Amino acid sequence: MKKITIANRNNATYEVKGNKPLLLELRSLGVDLPYGCQYGGCITCAAKLIKGKVDQKSQVALNNRQINDGYVILCVARAKTDCTFDIGVESHDKLYRNPFVDPLAPHELKADIASFREIKND
Amino acid sequence: MEGLCCGPGYASPSEAIRAPSEKLLYTIAIYTGTGIQKPDYLATVDVDPKSESYSKVIHRLEMPGIGDELHHMGWNACSSCYDDKSMSRRYLLVPGVRSNNIYVVDTATNPKAPTIYKIIQGTEIKTKTNLSGPHTVHCLGSEIIISFLGNAKGEAPGGYLHLNKDFEILGRWENSMGDIPFSYDFWYQPRHNVMVSSEWAAPNTFMPGFDLEEVGHLKYGRRLHIWDFEKKIPIETMYLGEDGLIPLEVKFLHNPISSHGFCGAALSANVIHFWKTKNGSWEWEKIIDIDNEPHPDWPIPIPGVMSALLVSMDDKYLYINNWLHGDMRQYNITDPHNPVLTGQVWIGGLLGKAPIVNGVKVAGGPQMYQLSLDGKRMYVTTSLFSTWDNQFYPEIRTKGGVMLMIDCDVKNGGMKINKDFVVNFGNEPNGPSRCHESRYPGGDCTSDIWL
Repeated sequence: MKKITIANRNNATYEVKGNKPLLLELRSLGVDLPYGCQYGGCITCAAKLIKGKVDQKSQVALNNRQINDGYVILCVARAKTDCTFDIGVESHDKLYRNPFVDPLAPHELKADIASFREIKND
Repeated sequence: MEGLCCGPGYASPSEAIRAPSEKLLYTIAIYTGTGIQKPDYLATVDVDPKSESYSKVIHRLEMPGIGDELHHMGWNACSSCYDDKSMSRRYLLVPGVRSNNIYVVDTATNPKAPTIYKIIQGTEIKTKTNLSGPHTVHCLGSEIIISFLGNAKGEAPGGYLHLNKDFEILGRWENSMGDIPFSYDFWYQPRHNVMVSSEWAAPNTFMPGFDLEEVGHLKYGRRLHIWDFEKKIPIETMYLGEDGLIPLEVKFLHNPISSHGFCGAALSANVIHFWKTKNGSWEWEKIIDIDNEPHPDWPIPIPGVMSALLVSMDDKYLYINNWLHGDMRQYNITDPHNPVLTGQVWIGGLLGKAPIVNGVKVAGGPQMYQLSLDGKRMYVTTSLFSTWDNQFYPEIRTKGGVMLMIDCDVKNGGMKINKDFVVNFGNEPNGPSRCHESRYPGGDCTSDIWL
Protein backbone atom coordinates (compact mmCIF):
# COMPACT_ATOMS: atom_id res chain seq x y z
CA MET A 1 0.00 0.00 0.00
CA LYS A 2 1.09 3.57 -0.70
CA LYS A 3 0.19 6.57 1.41
CA ILE A 4 -1.15 9.52 -0.61
CA THR A 5 -1.17 12.91 1.10
CA ILE A 6 -3.22 15.77 -0.35
CA ALA A 7 -1.33 18.81 0.89
CA ASN A 8 -3.94 21.37 -0.13
CA ARG A 9 -6.75 19.42 1.55
CA ASN A 10 -5.39 19.81 5.07
CA ASN A 11 -2.83 17.08 4.42
CA ALA A 12 -5.57 14.44 4.25
CA THR A 13 -4.09 10.97 3.75
CA TYR A 14 -5.34 7.94 1.86
CA GLU A 15 -4.04 4.40 1.36
CA VAL A 16 -3.94 3.19 -2.26
CA LYS A 17 -2.71 -0.03 -3.86
CA GLY A 18 -0.81 1.60 -6.69
CA ASN A 19 -2.08 -0.88 -9.28
CA LYS A 20 -4.75 1.42 -10.74
CA PRO A 21 -4.72 5.06 -11.87
CA LEU A 22 -4.71 7.44 -8.92
CA LEU A 23 -7.88 9.14 -10.18
CA LEU A 24 -9.80 5.87 -9.81
CA GLU A 25 -8.23 4.94 -6.51
CA LEU A 26 -8.70 8.34 -4.89
CA ARG A 27 -12.23 8.83 -6.20
CA SER A 28 -13.21 5.43 -4.82
CA LEU A 29 -11.99 6.71 -1.46
CA GLY A 30 -14.21 9.76 -1.75
CA VAL A 31 -11.75 12.40 -3.00
CA ASP A 32 -13.58 14.83 -5.30
CA LEU A 33 -11.23 15.30 -8.27
CA PRO A 34 -11.68 16.94 -11.67
CA TYR A 35 -11.27 14.82 -14.79
CA GLY A 36 -12.14 14.79 -18.49
CA CYS A 37 -10.99 12.26 -21.08
CA GLN A 38 -9.86 9.54 -18.63
CA TYR A 39 -7.13 8.27 -20.97
CA GLY A 40 -4.29 10.71 -20.33
CA GLY A 41 -4.93 13.09 -23.23
CA CYS A 42 -6.62 16.21 -21.88
CA ILE A 43 -4.90 17.69 -18.76
CA THR A 44 -8.18 18.38 -16.85
CA CYS A 45 -7.19 16.03 -14.02
CA ALA A 46 -3.61 17.34 -13.64
CA ALA A 47 -2.25 17.53 -10.09
CA LYS A 48 1.13 18.68 -8.80
CA LEU A 49 3.40 16.05 -7.31
CA ILE A 50 5.31 17.52 -4.38
CA LYS A 51 6.97 14.34 -3.13
CA GLY A 52 7.16 10.74 -4.33
CA LYS A 53 7.18 8.89 -7.64
CA VAL A 54 4.47 7.93 -10.11
CA ASP A 55 4.34 5.96 -13.34
CA GLN A 56 2.52 8.10 -15.92
CA LYS A 57 4.16 6.87 -19.10
CA SER A 58 0.84 6.56 -20.93
CA GLN A 59 -0.03 10.25 -20.57
CA VAL A 60 0.19 12.28 -23.80
CA ALA A 61 -1.12 15.65 -22.56
CA LEU A 62 1.85 17.20 -20.75
CA ASN A 63 4.79 18.95 -22.32
CA ASN A 64 8.21 18.52 -20.77
CA ARG A 65 8.07 21.82 -18.93
CA GLN A 66 4.85 20.78 -17.22
CA ILE A 67 6.42 17.45 -16.31
CA ASN A 68 9.49 19.23 -14.92
CA ASP A 69 7.15 21.44 -12.88
CA GLY A 70 5.78 18.30 -11.24
CA TYR A 71 2.48 17.85 -13.03
CA VAL A 72 0.92 14.44 -13.07
CA ILE A 73 -2.06 13.19 -15.09
CA LEU A 74 -4.03 11.40 -12.39
CA CYS A 75 -6.33 9.48 -14.76
CA VAL A 76 -3.40 7.34 -15.91
CA ALA A 77 -0.70 7.84 -13.24
CA ARG A 78 -0.07 5.05 -10.73
CA ALA A 79 1.65 5.64 -7.40
CA LYS A 80 5.08 3.96 -7.22
CA THR A 81 5.86 5.24 -3.71
CA ASP A 82 4.13 7.25 -1.01
CA CYS A 83 3.22 10.58 -2.67
CA THR A 84 2.23 14.09 -1.68
CA PHE A 85 0.09 16.14 -4.10
CA ASP A 86 -1.59 19.47 -4.49
CA ILE A 87 -4.83 18.79 -6.39
CA GLY A 88 -7.39 20.72 -8.42
CA VAL A 89 -7.08 24.09 -10.10
CA GLU A 90 -5.29 25.55 -7.06
CA SER A 91 -2.33 23.42 -8.16
CA HIS A 92 -2.45 24.72 -11.75
CA ASP A 93 -0.41 27.90 -11.22
CA LYS A 94 2.27 26.71 -13.65
CA LEU A 95 0.13 24.40 -15.77
CA TYR A 96 -1.28 27.11 -18.02
CA ARG A 97 0.87 29.78 -19.60
CA ASN A 98 0.41 32.33 -22.35
CA PRO A 99 2.22 30.60 -25.24
CA PHE A 100 3.10 33.88 -26.98
CA VAL A 101 4.55 35.62 -23.93
CA ASP A 102 6.31 32.59 -22.48
CA PRO A 103 7.45 30.25 -25.29
CA LEU A 104 8.83 26.75 -24.74
CA ALA A 105 12.46 25.85 -25.38
CA PRO A 106 12.95 22.90 -27.77
CA HIS A 107 13.60 20.49 -24.88
CA GLU A 108 10.40 21.64 -23.13
CA LEU A 109 8.04 20.48 -25.89
CA LYS A 110 5.99 17.31 -25.71
CA ALA A 111 8.03 14.14 -25.75
CA ASP A 112 7.27 13.24 -29.37
CA ILE A 113 8.70 16.49 -30.75
CA ALA A 114 11.14 17.64 -28.05
CA SER A 115 14.83 17.83 -28.86
CA PHE A 116 17.38 16.64 -26.36
CA ARG A 117 18.93 19.39 -24.31
CA GLU A 118 22.61 19.97 -24.86
CA ILE A 119 24.48 19.11 -21.71
CA LYS A 120 27.43 21.38 -21.26
CA ASN A 121 30.59 19.77 -19.96
CA ASP A 122 32.45 21.64 -17.29
CA MET B 1 -42.45 27.78 -36.10
CA GLU B 2 -41.87 24.39 -37.75
CA GLY B 3 -42.59 23.86 -41.44
CA LEU B 4 -45.82 25.12 -42.93
CA CYS B 5 -45.65 22.30 -45.44
CA CYS B 6 -44.59 19.09 -43.88
CA GLY B 7 -41.23 18.40 -42.28
CA PRO B 8 -38.91 20.58 -40.18
CA GLY B 9 -37.35 23.86 -41.12
CA TYR B 10 -38.16 26.05 -44.08
CA ALA B 11 -38.67 25.68 -47.82
CA SER B 12 -35.82 28.09 -48.57
CA PRO B 13 -33.47 30.59 -46.90
CA SER B 14 -35.88 33.40 -47.81
CA GLU B 15 -38.68 31.52 -46.01
CA ALA B 16 -36.42 31.09 -42.99
CA ILE B 17 -35.79 34.84 -42.84
CA ARG B 18 -39.55 35.40 -42.52
CA ALA B 19 -39.91 32.99 -39.57
CA PRO B 20 -41.10 34.36 -36.21
CA SER B 21 -38.37 35.82 -33.98
CA GLU B 22 -36.63 33.49 -31.55
CA LYS B 23 -38.08 33.59 -28.03
CA LEU B 24 -35.52 31.41 -26.29
CA LEU B 25 -32.15 29.98 -27.03
CA TYR B 26 -29.99 27.19 -25.70
CA THR B 27 -26.36 27.66 -24.88
CA ILE B 28 -23.95 25.22 -23.34
CA ALA B 29 -22.20 26.27 -20.15
CA ILE B 30 -19.17 24.47 -18.78
CA TYR B 31 -17.59 23.83 -15.42
CA THR B 32 -14.98 21.47 -16.87
CA GLY B 33 -11.55 23.00 -16.25
CA THR B 34 -12.93 25.78 -14.03
CA GLY B 35 -12.25 24.23 -10.63
CA ILE B 36 -15.96 23.88 -9.86
CA GLN B 37 -16.86 20.23 -9.42
CA LYS B 38 -20.25 20.40 -11.12
CA PRO B 39 -21.51 19.00 -14.43
CA ASP B 40 -21.61 21.10 -17.58
CA TYR B 41 -25.15 22.10 -18.52
CA LEU B 42 -27.45 23.28 -21.26
CA ALA B 43 -28.81 26.70 -20.30
CA THR B 44 -32.12 28.00 -21.61
CA VAL B 45 -31.96 31.77 -22.04
CA ASP B 46 -35.11 33.88 -22.38
CA VAL B 47 -34.66 36.15 -25.41
CA ASP B 48 -38.27 37.35 -25.67
CA PRO B 49 -38.12 41.11 -24.98
CA LYS B 50 -41.75 41.02 -23.81
CA SER B 51 -41.02 38.42 -21.14
CA GLU B 52 -40.38 39.26 -17.49
CA SER B 53 -37.39 36.92 -17.49
CA TYR B 54 -35.87 38.45 -20.64
CA SER B 55 -32.07 38.23 -20.69
CA LYS B 56 -31.99 35.60 -17.94
CA VAL B 57 -31.12 31.92 -17.68
CA ILE B 58 -34.51 30.30 -17.03
CA HIS B 59 -33.50 26.63 -16.92
CA ARG B 60 -30.35 24.55 -16.51
CA LEU B 61 -30.17 20.97 -17.77
CA GLU B 62 -27.23 19.38 -15.98
CA MET B 63 -25.39 16.50 -17.60
CA PRO B 64 -25.20 13.31 -15.52
CA GLY B 65 -21.51 13.65 -14.62
CA ILE B 66 -18.59 16.07 -14.62
CA GLY B 67 -15.86 16.58 -17.21
CA ASP B 68 -17.69 16.47 -20.55
CA GLU B 69 -16.64 19.89 -21.88
CA LEU B 70 -19.78 20.55 -23.88
CA HIS B 71 -18.84 22.66 -26.87
CA HIS B 72 -20.81 22.58 -30.14
CA MET B 73 -24.19 20.99 -30.83
CA GLY B 74 -26.66 20.37 -33.61
CA TRP B 75 -30.23 19.31 -34.42
CA ASN B 76 -31.55 15.88 -35.34
CA ALA B 77 -33.29 17.45 -38.34
CA CYS B 78 -33.20 20.69 -40.32
CA SER B 79 -34.50 22.08 -43.59
CA SER B 80 -32.65 19.27 -45.38
CA CYS B 81 -35.67 17.08 -44.58
CA TYR B 82 -38.32 19.75 -45.08
CA ASP B 83 -40.29 17.37 -47.32
CA ASP B 84 -40.27 14.51 -44.80
CA LYS B 85 -43.47 14.52 -42.77
CA SER B 86 -42.11 11.90 -40.40
CA MET B 87 -39.31 14.18 -39.16
CA SER B 88 -39.34 17.09 -36.74
CA ARG B 89 -36.70 19.32 -35.19
CA ARG B 90 -37.06 17.94 -31.72
CA TYR B 91 -33.71 16.71 -30.47
CA LEU B 92 -30.52 18.62 -29.88
CA LEU B 93 -27.36 16.51 -30.00
CA VAL B 94 -24.83 17.81 -27.51
CA PRO B 95 -21.40 16.15 -27.57
CA GLY B 96 -18.77 16.31 -24.82
CA VAL B 97 -15.37 16.92 -26.39
CA ARG B 98 -13.42 15.33 -23.51
CA SER B 99 -15.81 12.60 -22.37
CA ASN B 100 -16.81 11.55 -25.90
CA ASN B 101 -20.43 11.22 -24.68
CA ILE B 102 -23.23 12.52 -26.88
CA TYR B 103 -26.35 13.73 -25.11
CA VAL B 104 -29.57 13.69 -27.12
CA VAL B 105 -31.76 16.38 -25.59
CA ASP B 106 -35.53 16.56 -26.07
CA THR B 107 -36.37 20.23 -26.56
CA ALA B 108 -39.92 19.77 -27.82
CA THR B 109 -41.82 18.33 -24.85
CA ASN B 110 -41.07 21.46 -22.86
CA PRO B 111 -38.91 23.88 -24.85
CA LYS B 112 -38.10 25.98 -21.78
CA ALA B 113 -37.02 22.96 -19.73
CA PRO B 114 -35.42 20.40 -22.05
CA THR B 115 -34.58 16.91 -20.81
CA ILE B 116 -32.05 14.24 -21.69
CA TYR B 117 -33.72 11.73 -24.02
CA LYS B 118 -30.79 9.41 -24.70
CA ILE B 119 -27.09 9.17 -24.00
CA ILE B 120 -24.70 7.70 -26.55
CA GLN B 121 -21.83 6.66 -24.32
CA GLY B 122 -18.36 7.78 -25.31
CA THR B 123 -16.99 4.31 -24.66
CA GLU B 124 -19.51 2.79 -27.08
CA ILE B 125 -18.49 5.27 -29.78
CA LYS B 126 -14.83 4.41 -29.24
CA THR B 127 -15.50 0.67 -29.34
CA LYS B 128 -17.70 0.70 -32.42
CA THR B 129 -16.06 3.43 -34.52
CA ASN B 130 -12.60 4.16 -33.06
CA LEU B 131 -13.44 7.86 -32.75
CA SER B 132 -12.98 10.51 -30.05
CA GLY B 133 -13.15 14.30 -29.76
CA PRO B 134 -16.59 15.10 -31.25
CA HIS B 135 -17.21 18.51 -32.75
CA THR B 136 -19.66 19.53 -35.49
CA VAL B 137 -23.13 17.97 -35.75
CA HIS B 138 -25.07 18.12 -39.03
CA CYS B 139 -28.18 16.23 -40.00
CA LEU B 140 -28.34 15.03 -43.56
CA GLY B 141 -31.87 14.21 -44.44
CA SER B 142 -33.07 11.95 -41.67
CA GLU B 143 -29.62 10.86 -40.57
CA ILE B 144 -26.86 12.57 -38.63
CA ILE B 145 -23.10 12.89 -39.04
CA ILE B 146 -20.71 14.26 -36.44
CA SER B 147 -17.08 15.15 -37.06
CA PHE B 148 -14.58 13.69 -34.59
CA LEU B 149 -11.04 14.99 -34.35
CA GLY B 150 -9.28 11.84 -33.26
CA ASN B 151 -9.28 8.08 -33.02
CA ALA B 152 -10.03 6.37 -29.72
CA LYS B 153 -6.52 7.28 -28.52
CA GLY B 154 -6.97 10.97 -29.39
CA GLU B 155 -4.73 10.85 -32.44
CA ALA B 156 -5.56 12.64 -35.71
CA PRO B 157 -7.23 12.61 -38.18
CA GLY B 158 -10.43 11.17 -36.66
CA GLY B 159 -13.43 10.88 -38.95
CA TYR B 160 -17.21 11.01 -39.03
CA LEU B 161 -19.72 9.22 -36.83
CA HIS B 162 -22.90 8.17 -38.65
CA LEU B 163 -26.13 7.91 -36.63
CA ASN B 164 -29.60 6.94 -37.81
CA LYS B 165 -32.65 8.98 -36.86
CA ASP B 166 -33.10 6.90 -33.71
CA PHE B 167 -29.56 7.85 -32.66
CA GLU B 168 -28.18 4.39 -33.14
CA ILE B 169 -24.58 4.09 -34.28
CA LEU B 170 -24.38 3.01 -37.92
CA GLY B 171 -20.59 3.22 -37.97
CA ARG B 172 -18.25 5.56 -39.78
CA TRP B 173 -19.87 7.81 -42.36
CA GLU B 174 -16.86 8.31 -44.62
CA ASN B 175 -15.54 5.63 -46.92
CA SER B 176 -12.03 7.05 -46.66
CA MET B 177 -10.20 9.91 -44.95
CA GLY B 178 -7.72 9.90 -47.84
CA ASP B 179 -4.55 11.65 -46.73
CA ILE B 180 -6.37 14.20 -44.58
CA PRO B 181 -4.15 14.91 -41.55
CA PHE B 182 -6.70 16.67 -39.29
CA SER B 183 -10.43 17.20 -38.85
CA TYR B 184 -12.62 19.88 -37.38
CA ASP B 185 -15.65 21.60 -38.93
CA PHE B 186 -17.57 20.69 -42.09
CA TRP B 187 -20.45 21.95 -44.20
CA TYR B 188 -22.05 20.42 -47.26
CA GLN B 189 -23.84 21.77 -50.33
CA PRO B 190 -25.79 18.89 -51.88
CA ARG B 191 -26.56 20.47 -55.24
CA HIS B 192 -22.83 20.56 -55.90
CA ASN B 193 -22.33 17.10 -54.36
CA VAL B 194 -19.68 18.66 -52.16
CA MET B 195 -18.61 18.75 -48.55
CA VAL B 196 -15.79 20.96 -47.26
CA SER B 197 -13.90 20.09 -44.09
CA SER B 198 -11.34 22.08 -42.11
CA GLU B 199 -8.49 21.28 -39.71
CA TRP B 200 -7.83 22.02 -36.03
CA ALA B 201 -5.56 19.40 -34.52
CA ALA B 202 -5.56 16.01 -32.79
CA PRO B 203 -7.45 15.95 -29.47
CA ASN B 204 -4.18 15.08 -27.73
CA THR B 205 -2.72 18.29 -29.17
CA PHE B 206 -5.48 20.87 -28.59
CA MET B 207 -7.20 19.48 -25.48
CA PRO B 208 -4.32 20.18 -23.05
CA GLY B 209 -3.96 23.77 -24.34
CA PHE B 210 -2.08 25.65 -27.04
CA ASP B 211 1.68 25.35 -27.43
CA LEU B 212 2.63 27.78 -30.22
CA GLU B 213 5.69 25.72 -31.10
CA GLU B 214 3.43 22.84 -32.15
CA VAL B 215 2.22 24.89 -35.12
CA GLY B 216 5.76 24.83 -36.49
CA HIS B 217 5.94 21.11 -35.82
CA LEU B 218 2.88 20.68 -38.07
CA LYS B 219 0.65 19.59 -35.21
CA TYR B 220 -2.02 22.08 -36.31
CA GLY B 221 -3.93 22.27 -39.58
CA ARG B 222 -3.46 24.51 -42.63
CA ARG B 223 -5.67 22.90 -45.29
CA LEU B 224 -9.26 22.68 -46.50
CA HIS B 225 -10.59 19.49 -48.01
CA ILE B 226 -13.15 19.05 -50.77
CA TRP B 227 -15.21 15.87 -50.58
CA ASP B 228 -17.33 13.95 -53.06
CA PHE B 229 -20.37 14.00 -50.80
CA GLU B 230 -22.14 11.01 -52.33
CA LYS B 231 -19.06 8.83 -52.55
CA LYS B 232 -18.01 10.00 -49.05
CA ILE B 233 -14.37 10.41 -50.01
CA PRO B 234 -12.06 13.44 -50.05
CA ILE B 235 -11.12 14.36 -53.62
CA GLU B 236 -9.16 17.62 -53.45
CA THR B 237 -7.05 19.50 -50.92
CA MET B 238 -6.53 23.24 -50.79
CA TYR B 239 -3.20 23.90 -49.09
CA LEU B 240 -3.52 27.32 -47.45
CA GLY B 241 -0.04 27.50 -45.95
CA GLU B 242 0.82 30.52 -43.79
CA ASP B 243 -2.38 32.26 -44.95
CA GLY B 244 -4.49 29.53 -43.43
CA LEU B 245 -2.97 28.50 -40.13
CA ILE B 246 -5.57 26.63 -38.06
CA PRO B 247 -8.55 26.88 -40.43
CA LEU B 248 -11.57 26.40 -38.17
CA GLU B 249 -15.14 27.24 -39.02
CA VAL B 250 -16.22 26.59 -42.59
CA LYS B 251 -19.55 27.69 -44.10
CA PHE B 252 -21.13 27.77 -47.52
CA LEU B 253 -23.55 30.51 -48.49
CA HIS B 254 -27.08 29.44 -47.54
CA ASN B 255 -28.32 29.66 -51.13
CA PRO B 256 -28.19 25.99 -52.15
CA ILE B 257 -27.26 26.90 -55.72
CA SER B 258 -24.10 28.73 -54.66
CA SER B 259 -20.67 27.08 -54.44
CA HIS B 260 -19.12 30.01 -52.58
CA GLY B 261 -17.96 29.42 -49.04
CA PHE B 262 -15.72 30.86 -46.35
CA CYS B 263 -13.36 29.66 -43.67
CA GLY B 264 -11.79 31.57 -40.80
CA ALA B 265 -8.13 30.71 -40.27
CA ALA B 266 -7.83 31.31 -36.54
CA LEU B 267 -4.11 31.84 -36.04
CA SER B 268 -3.50 33.65 -39.34
CA ALA B 269 -6.66 35.68 -38.61
CA ASN B 270 -7.62 35.53 -42.29
CA VAL B 271 -10.84 34.76 -44.07
CA ILE B 272 -10.41 32.26 -46.88
CA HIS B 273 -12.99 32.40 -49.66
CA PHE B 274 -13.40 29.29 -51.82
CA TRP B 275 -15.62 28.47 -54.81
CA LYS B 276 -16.07 26.07 -57.69
CA THR B 277 -14.85 27.29 -61.05
CA LYS B 278 -16.67 26.76 -64.35
CA ASN B 279 -14.47 23.76 -65.14
CA GLY B 280 -15.40 22.10 -61.85
CA SER B 281 -12.15 22.64 -59.96
CA TRP B 282 -12.01 24.52 -56.66
CA GLU B 283 -10.14 27.73 -56.02
CA TRP B 284 -9.44 29.77 -52.91
CA GLU B 285 -8.25 33.25 -52.07
CA LYS B 286 -7.58 35.26 -48.93
CA ILE B 287 -10.18 38.03 -48.77
CA ILE B 288 -9.76 39.39 -45.23
CA ASP B 289 -6.45 39.74 -43.36
CA ILE B 290 -6.62 41.02 -39.78
CA ASP B 291 -3.29 42.54 -38.74
CA ASN B 292 -1.69 41.40 -35.51
CA GLU B 293 -1.83 44.15 -32.89
CA PRO B 294 0.98 45.30 -30.58
CA HIS B 295 0.60 44.81 -26.82
CA PRO B 296 2.85 46.39 -24.18
CA ASP B 297 3.42 43.07 -22.37
CA TRP B 298 3.81 40.82 -25.40
CA PRO B 299 7.10 40.23 -27.20
CA ILE B 300 5.24 39.77 -30.47
CA PRO B 301 2.01 41.39 -31.73
CA ILE B 302 -1.22 39.62 -30.79
CA PRO B 303 -2.94 37.62 -33.52
CA GLY B 304 -6.70 38.07 -33.78
CA VAL B 305 -7.56 34.38 -33.30
CA MET B 306 -10.54 34.25 -35.63
CA SER B 307 -12.20 31.27 -34.04
CA ALA B 308 -15.65 31.45 -35.62
CA LEU B 309 -17.44 32.72 -38.71
CA LEU B 310 -21.09 33.08 -39.71
CA VAL B 311 -23.05 34.03 -42.83
CA SER B 312 -26.41 35.79 -42.50
CA MET B 313 -29.39 33.90 -43.90
CA ASP B 314 -29.71 36.37 -46.81
CA ASP B 315 -26.05 35.70 -47.71
CA LYS B 316 -25.37 39.43 -47.55
CA TYR B 317 -23.19 39.64 -44.46
CA LEU B 318 -20.22 37.68 -43.16
CA TYR B 319 -19.48 37.94 -39.44
CA ILE B 320 -16.11 37.19 -37.88
CA ASN B 321 -14.56 37.52 -34.42
CA ASN B 322 -11.06 38.20 -33.15
CA TRP B 323 -11.09 36.48 -29.78
CA LEU B 324 -7.79 37.88 -28.53
CA HIS B 325 -8.26 41.38 -29.95
CA GLY B 326 -11.83 41.60 -28.68
CA ASP B 327 -13.76 42.69 -31.77
CA MET B 328 -16.62 41.38 -33.89
CA ARG B 329 -16.85 42.49 -37.49
CA GLN B 330 -19.53 42.56 -40.14
CA TYR B 331 -18.60 42.50 -43.83
CA ASN B 332 -20.90 42.96 -46.80
CA ILE B 333 -20.12 39.99 -49.08
CA THR B 334 -22.48 40.80 -51.94
CA ASP B 335 -19.29 40.42 -53.98
CA PRO B 336 -17.61 37.52 -52.17
CA HIS B 337 -14.25 38.37 -53.75
CA ASN B 338 -14.34 41.89 -52.31
CA PRO B 339 -15.81 42.05 -48.80
CA VAL B 340 -16.59 45.51 -47.42
CA LEU B 341 -16.29 46.18 -43.69
CA THR B 342 -19.66 47.56 -42.58
CA GLY B 343 -19.70 47.10 -38.81
CA GLN B 344 -17.51 46.49 -35.77
CA VAL B 345 -18.00 46.27 -32.01
CA TRP B 346 -15.63 45.60 -29.10
CA ILE B 347 -16.23 43.12 -26.29
CA GLY B 348 -13.44 42.39 -23.79
CA GLY B 349 -10.25 41.21 -25.46
CA LEU B 350 -6.59 41.75 -24.63
CA LEU B 351 -6.26 45.17 -26.30
CA GLY B 352 -8.25 46.88 -23.57
CA LYS B 353 -10.78 48.48 -25.94
CA ALA B 354 -13.90 47.35 -24.05
CA PRO B 355 -13.10 45.82 -20.64
CA ILE B 356 -16.63 46.48 -19.31
CA VAL B 357 -19.74 45.97 -21.44
CA ASN B 358 -23.27 46.60 -20.12
CA GLY B 359 -21.88 46.76 -16.60
CA VAL B 360 -20.08 43.40 -16.75
CA LYS B 361 -16.31 43.09 -16.66
CA VAL B 362 -15.62 40.77 -19.59
CA ALA B 363 -13.02 38.04 -19.15
CA GLY B 364 -12.46 36.70 -22.66
CA GLY B 365 -13.42 38.09 -26.03
CA PRO B 366 -16.17 37.52 -28.58
CA GLN B 367 -15.93 33.86 -29.42
CA MET B 368 -19.11 32.03 -30.50
CA TYR B 369 -22.14 33.75 -31.95
CA GLN B 370 -25.50 32.93 -33.36
CA LEU B 371 -27.57 35.20 -35.59
CA SER B 372 -31.35 35.42 -35.70
CA LEU B 373 -32.93 34.15 -38.91
CA ASP B 374 -33.90 37.72 -39.87
CA GLY B 375 -30.28 38.76 -39.34
CA LYS B 376 -31.03 41.50 -36.81
CA ARG B 377 -29.97 40.01 -33.46
CA MET B 378 -26.62 38.38 -32.85
CA TYR B 379 -25.98 36.58 -29.55
CA VAL B 380 -22.30 36.45 -28.62
CA THR B 381 -20.49 34.42 -25.94
CA THR B 382 -16.92 34.77 -24.69
CA SER B 383 -15.35 31.39 -23.82
CA LEU B 384 -13.38 29.35 -26.38
CA PHE B 385 -12.33 26.11 -24.69
CA SER B 386 -11.52 25.58 -21.03
CA THR B 387 -7.79 25.01 -21.35
CA TRP B 388 -7.30 27.78 -23.93
CA ASP B 389 -9.39 30.19 -21.81
CA ASN B 390 -7.14 29.36 -18.86
CA GLN B 391 -4.04 30.28 -20.88
CA PHE B 392 -5.16 33.57 -22.42
CA TYR B 393 -7.83 34.83 -20.02
CA PRO B 394 -7.04 33.27 -16.61
CA GLU B 395 -9.41 35.69 -14.86
CA ILE B 396 -12.32 33.89 -16.57
CA ARG B 397 -12.05 31.31 -13.80
CA THR B 398 -13.56 33.73 -11.29
CA LYS B 399 -15.54 35.96 -13.65
CA GLY B 400 -17.12 33.31 -15.90
CA GLY B 401 -18.46 33.87 -19.38
CA VAL B 402 -20.88 36.49 -20.69
CA MET B 403 -23.59 36.48 -23.33
CA LEU B 404 -24.33 39.75 -25.09
CA MET B 405 -26.54 40.74 -27.98
CA ILE B 406 -25.56 42.86 -30.95
CA ASP B 407 -28.15 44.70 -32.99
CA CYS B 408 -27.23 44.29 -36.64
CA ASP B 409 -28.43 46.71 -39.32
CA VAL B 410 -29.40 44.44 -42.21
CA LYS B 411 -30.27 47.27 -44.57
CA ASN B 412 -27.34 49.66 -44.36
CA GLY B 413 -24.85 47.54 -42.45
CA GLY B 414 -23.61 48.23 -38.94
CA MET B 415 -23.40 46.63 -35.51
CA LYS B 416 -24.28 48.00 -32.08
CA ILE B 417 -24.23 46.30 -28.69
CA ASN B 418 -27.76 46.15 -27.31
CA LYS B 419 -27.82 47.92 -23.92
CA ASP B 420 -30.75 45.92 -22.53
CA PHE B 421 -29.34 42.42 -22.91
CA VAL B 422 -26.59 40.80 -20.88
CA VAL B 423 -26.41 37.35 -19.31
CA ASN B 424 -23.58 37.18 -16.81
CA PHE B 425 -22.60 33.54 -16.37
CA GLY B 426 -20.33 34.72 -13.57
CA ASN B 427 -23.44 34.87 -11.38
CA GLU B 428 -24.64 31.31 -11.94
CA PRO B 429 -25.97 29.47 -8.85
CA ASN B 430 -23.10 26.96 -8.74
CA GLY B 431 -20.45 29.58 -9.46
CA PRO B 432 -18.94 31.13 -12.59
CA SER B 433 -19.50 28.98 -15.69
CA ARG B 434 -18.49 29.61 -19.29
CA CYS B 435 -20.94 29.79 -22.19
CA HIS B 436 -20.10 28.75 -25.74
CA GLU B 437 -22.32 27.79 -28.69
CA SER B 438 -26.01 28.81 -28.88
CA ARG B 439 -28.93 27.45 -30.88
CA TYR B 440 -32.61 28.38 -31.31
CA PRO B 441 -35.48 25.87 -31.32
CA GLY B 442 -36.59 26.94 -34.80
CA GLY B 443 -33.22 26.67 -36.50
CA ASP B 444 -30.60 29.34 -36.93
CA CYS B 445 -27.95 30.62 -39.29
CA THR B 446 -25.52 27.70 -38.78
CA SER B 447 -27.96 24.79 -38.57
CA ASP B 448 -29.88 24.42 -41.80
CA ILE B 449 -28.90 23.13 -45.22
CA TRP B 450 -31.17 22.90 -48.28
CA LEU B 451 -31.12 19.92 -50.62
